[in-house]
Amino acid sequence: MRVLDYEIPDKLYYSREHEWVRLKGREAIVGITDYAQKQLHEIVYVEVQQEGSEVKQFQTMGTVESVKSVSDIFSPVTGKITKVNTELTDNPELLNQDPYGKGWLAKINLTDFKKDMEKLLSAKQYADYIKTIE
Amino acid sequence: MIEFAGFQMPIWYKGIIPEHMAVRTRVGIFDITHMGRALITGAKSEAFLNHVTTNDVSILTPLSAQYSTMCNENGGVKDDLILSRLEQEKFLMVYNAANREKDYQWLVQNAKAFDVKVEDASDTIAMFAVQGPNAQPTLQKIADADQSKIERFKCGWTKLAGVDSFVSRTGYTGEDGFEVFVLNTPLSKPENAVKVWNAILKAGEEFGIEPCGLGARDTLRLEAGMCLYGNDIDETTTPLEAGLDFVVKLKKEAFIGKDALTKQKAEGIKRKRVGLKMLEKGIPRPKQEVWKDSAQKIGLVTSGTFSPLLEHGIAMAYVSIEHALEGEKVMVKVRGKPLKIEIVKFPFYDSTKYGHTRQK
Repeated sequence: MRVLDYEIPDKLYYSREHEWVRLKGREAIVGITDYAQKQLHEIVYVEVQQEGSEVKQFQTMGTVESVKSVSDIFSPVTGKITKVNTELTDNPELLNQDPYGKGWLAKINLTDFKKDMEKLLSAKQYADYIKTIE
Repeated sequence: MIEFAGFQMPIWYKGIIPEHMAVRTRVGIFDITHMGRALITGAKSEAFLNHVTTNDVSILTPLSAQYSTMCNENGGVKDDLILSRLEQEKFLMVYNAANREKDYQWLVQNAKAFDVKVEDASDTIAMFAVQGPNAQPTLQKIADADQSKIERFKCGWTKLAGVDSFVSRTGYTGEDGFEVFVLNTPLSKPENAVKVWNAILKAGEEFGIEPCGLGARDTLRLEAGMCLYGNDIDETTTPLEAGLDFVVKLKKEAFIGKDALTKQKAEGIKRKRVGLKMLEKGIPRPKQEVWKDSAQKIGLVTSGTFSPLLEHGIAMAYVSIEHALEGEKVMVKVRGKPLKIEIVKFPFYDSTKYGHTRQK
């Protein structure tokens, strides 16, 4: 769905810190939302923790830096990073151009998604949340 | 849009990077009406300005401009400014928006001993900056006077799109360009300013002009090594520490701050503003610490950004004088993590390829 100026794909889960989760079996692909990339604008560096790192839900898993500012990326789930999108090293603008596709950040092997899910939002809930902060 | 010194201003129109690159390679236009402006007139205006500013006003011929600072008695920078001599006994001073009230009051207070009139022209003159290698041909299309005759730091009167204007070949980007003053445009009657703005945008179309916001203004001035008041200079830093010696004329007769600056010059400065070039990924930001090695803190970052032209982080910092050496490799703590950074000279770019000294 599209809310205000922001794309919010239906089948993903979202965090209030503006990360998304796409489920693939026991694995999750995570990234930042269209809202997040539009707020940051012109992203020039992305840094995600190394493959093999353990991450906890809502704890820092990296940083994203634009010309004007720097923000932490909070992992929307708990698990182990199995793959990092290395394309972003040379092409950080992919985060601006395609936040839900080529701009994915990492693949995470999930520890207990049922537990993570309790604190995540559906597309509809995230859309309502965006309306309250815009 | 953000609030800046009481004005609602855009950080960008299209994006900081495309606007920045437009100025470095083509031409860009900035609305800088928010800046403070004062007119100083009277037989003693030169003497008065020599008293309140650090540069030598007596060398300014009519229709010339100079960069300068105003200092307090301790030699701390009250503000940096551009002073233009409109006529033998009439000057226009342009200073920072954030200091509008403070500077005007300072001028008025110090003018009492001189036979001069100080007039706040901030809200009656609109101001644009047209910057970049194609600034001159752009402006020429709507000017009735020959703009190519105006050399750097010279000024001229002209009609722009039929509107009475004053231009100076100055700017805050490092590039060739003009600052345009649209006269007789009180805030309540901005039509002439809008007319000139639109005419410049139209004239610049064939050169690929972009309207530019505060974001590109900051990245451009940083690449050029120019100070931002409040970040890189303030009342606790002196122009000597900031590397602005070229606007401090200690041979002048008494001026405010002279004694303190003379003393500091004799004793030697203890810290100096330097340029820093990131040697790895990451962007230095204000207030981050500069370290020589893990044991020795040597300074503090005052401005930092990603350089759209050079595509790496750049910064300005004050470092202790013994380390203020070009080529010295030091570290900056970016969110607690020490990253390699090198002390370099200003401007950050190759001035034979970019900026007003570029070889065509």
